[in-house]
Amino acid sequence: MVVSIKDLDVKEKMQWCPGCGNFGIVSALKGAIADLGLAPHETVICSGIGCSSKLPHYLDTYGFESIHGRGLPVASAIKLANNNLNVISVGGDGDGYGIGVQHFVHIMRRNYDLTYIVHNNQIYGLTTGQASPTSMMGMKTKTTPWGVIEEPFRPLATAINSGATFVARGYAGDPVHLKELIKGAIAHKGFAFVDVFQPCVTFNKINTYPWFQQRVYKLDGTHDVKDKWAAMQKAYEDEKTNYQKVPIGLFYKVEKPTYESQLPQIKDVPLVKHDLKKIDISMAYKELE
Amino acid sequence: MMFSFKIGAQAGAGVMVTGRMMAKCFTRGGFHVVEYPEYPSLVRGGHNVVEVAVSDKQMYSPTQKCDVVIALNKDAIFYHKDFVKKGGVIIYDEPIDTKQFKIPKDVHLLPVPLIKLIEKAGGNNNMINVVALASALALVEYPFEILAKVIEDEFGRKGAEIVKKNIDAATEGYNYVTENKGDVVNLVKTIKPTSNARKMLIAGNEAIALGAVKGGMKFYSAYPMTPASSILHYLFANERNFNIVVKQTEDEIAAMNYAIGASFAGVRSMTGTSGGGFALMTEALGMAALAETPIVTALVQRVGPSTGMPTWTEQADLRFALHASQGDFLRVILAPGDVDECFYLGAEAFNLAEKYQLPVIIISDKFLAETVFSTERFDEKKMKIERGKIVDNLPALEPNTRYKRYKLTKDGVSPRVFPGTPNGMHVGTSYEHDETGFSSESFIMRTKQVDKRDAKLAGLLKEIPAPEVYGPKKAPVTIVCWGSHKLPALDALGILENNGIKANVLHFSYLFPLDKNKIEKAMKQCTKTVMFENNSTGQFTGMLKQYCDVEPDFLVLKYDGRQFFAEQMAEEIGKLVKKKFKGDKDIRICEKEDLEYYNQQRYGL
Ligand SMILES: Cc1ncc(C[n+]2csc(CCOP(=O)(O)OP(=O)(O)O)c2C)c(N)n1
Repeated sequence: MVVSIKDLDVKEKMQWCPGCGNFGIVSALKGAIADLGLAPHETVICSGIGCSSKLPHYLDTYGFESIHGRGLPVASAIKLANNNLNVISVGGDGDGYGIGVQHFVHIMRRNYDLTYIVHNNQIYGLTTGQASPTSMMGMKTKTTPWGVIEEPFRPLATAINSGATFVARGYAGDPVHLKELIKGAIAHKGFAFVDVFQPCVTFNKINTYPWFQQRVYKLDGTHDVKDKWAAMQKAYEDEKTNYQKVPIGLFYKVEKPTYESQLPQIKDVPLVKHDLKKIDISMAYKELE
Repeated sequence: MMFSFKIGAQAGAGVMVTGRMMAKCFTRGGFHVVEYPEYPSLVRGGHNVVEVAVSDKQMYSPTQKCDVVIALNKDAIFYHKDFVKKGGVIIYDEPIDTKQFKIPKDVHLLPVPLIKLIEKAGGNNNMINVVALASALALVEYPFEILAKVIEDEFGRKGAEIVKKNIDAATEGYNYVTENKGDVVNLVKTIKPTSNARKMLIAGNEAIALGAVKGGMKFYSAYPMTPASSILHYLFANERNFNIVVKQTEDEIAAMNYAIGASFAGVRSMTGTSGGGFALMTEALGMAALAETPIVTALVQRVGPSTGMPTWTEQADLRFALHASQGDFLRVILAPGDVDECFYLGAEAFNLAEKYQLPVIIISDKFLAETVFSTERFDEKKMKIERGKIVDNLPALEPNTRYKRYKLTKDGVSPRVFPGTPNGMHVGTSYEHDETGFSSESFIMRTKQVDKRDAKLAGLLKEIPAPEVYGPKKAPVTIVCWGSHKLPALDALGILENNGIKANVLHFSYLFPLDKNKIEKAMKQCTKTVMFENNSTGQFTGMLKQYCDVEPDFLVLKYDGRQFFAEQMAEEIGKLVKKKFKGDKDIRICEKEDLEYYNQQRYGL
């Protein structure tokens, strides 16, 4: 289907701080949907709660803005209920790596065919600046006045380790590159995870655009995306180089059967199209007699 | 004719399967059967018992006393010897030393060398349950062929060899007792099949699951938790037959959010749990209410608070269900009173959830959930699927406008549209919102949206029937109860009648919203009312007072982990009648004997 970016526009004004990384992510996502020609009415974007989780309101697709940390379980079930839909889930790092981390870890074991984009600003934005699971050691926030003393959560390594079949990292300051990553993620058959560096211009004074500009570099053809161990090493490169070299791009990609494809109940007809008038339970009666 | 068996053994020894087989033997002979398990929260050790009560008349609940105990270990003798009726028999495995127990005078012991008989038949020790079952049937001279067929059905999928070995072992047990029961035979009745019409045997949880499936449930997500787990097990076992998707999630938070997601996508979906899991679901329950996403939850109560007594029963989560999650919102609470109601309400829950786009909670308890009842096939003709307002054909929207999913309507219900439908794009949301679903903090819109959601109450109340009266229309005393306690209450009527007391039952299976007019009227028609609740605070009594301004004359509470037995209800009513309804309004009772199944060491066994 031919879809233009204009088809995805809504009149609502995006309620983010001027310069917020979220703008770059929305434009990359819109571009990806348009390039892939996903029908807006067959696309659902789920989210949790946070600045980033307001995203579903800014695209003219279906959306579900759930509660803090629960975008993934809602998205999972939307896919199981109607496997014809394109399902995308978005949210913040607090949302996905903090309060909702159990869903993040388990969804990767399941390999549903859906895409998960995390707006990783390494801070809690909406609640005005507390430490997040990805805040760097030493960072001072409202809840860490003497600096963070907890190891940061490692989303990419966790994803590779938990069985994700598509693991990438983008940067909101490079929406063109990010768009291509998101396109790859949506096109991937299976669970695709994209962690996106998203500068928070209001509450994160460390991981700023200039900070990323100096450090990020794009993975190229020399990185073998099928090699799990190479991917793992790349996922740790930032730490190993004391955050001097921070790779972005596609880290890992492997083909595996999706969860839905293993359910004969929805092979031909999605659940939502099952005929409720023709439910026969007589075999259950027989078994109980 | 009413007769009851108790099969007792240590946890893990398989008495539950044996109980189900025995129950099958009797329903296939035309009898009404109630099969009631009790067990501690342990996989091995601890004591398990299953009662199989058999009657030629309609019967609703287990009894306190039984006619025959089948003791597979000495604990079973210890636990049940004092609950055998006069002239009853304890069948036990011969090597057990019974001298350590004071067996009541009028109870007979019948040793059967179970293991030796198995050896004789060339079987293995796993067959001890089958041999014991055969022995018990021989005692009442129940035809062996029925047992043989049940064994075939039970073990058929394990192969002909296994079936044959079990039948051989059972034959040994049956013949042994037939030859050796001696004078015991005069003490017990014989039971002869009355028909070969087949009835179903189904537990409350299975009936809810089956009702939900027939009612169009296509998606069930849950995390295991006793006593709700058997819904999950039953649905998984039949997932492909029923053509549904069942998902075991990482926790109950996910389970509820999955169910909501599936519902948003247009599928009738459900989750189920017990109190602890429901606590984890409460945040999302409120989201379902605000996003107006229909959702059905089975809340199968066990003893709380906290982990409590996981395998025992209580009715103490009603107020929790009523108030769960922040903010004011409407919900429906249904409390089926028997397996038939489990089935019909299991289906009806979806109609209410979808027509009014709100959460529906089916509240049940361990007692109803895991007790197995004989019943006829359900009458599907009286069911219909009503999905409420759904649109699937929408005109193109004006540019820059979105579908008004939360349109302000008079009845409070705005048409749903499912993803995949052109021109229906909108965002379902946990935020207060305007008509399109966009977040709104306008004071006026907020008030209007609250009023819109509350407006559903009027329509809903029209669909909520009055509480049901059982027994004579008029009686000097009425047992009032809700949910599972319909079962002992109906049996109590028979006991009371035998004692010359005329009584009836007023039973509630629709617990919220409560219709003041209908309930006031129903209560006014009673002379003296005695409410029985399986909790320590009289939660439903409080609700009746709060919402309907009515109050029962007496309130009897029990919260020891067991439901009321019919005998206990009849006893309390009897006492009140005798005292001419004078005395304390609040009555608390507890089992007389303190038998703990968890910690047998206490008894030095
Ligand atoms: C159960 C619950 N706890 C806490 C909150 C408050 N809360 C809202 S958003 C948020 C964190 C936001 O950070 P993040 O997820 O990183 O998203 P961002 O705003 O940075 O995009 C918190 C703690 C909530 N809404 N619900």
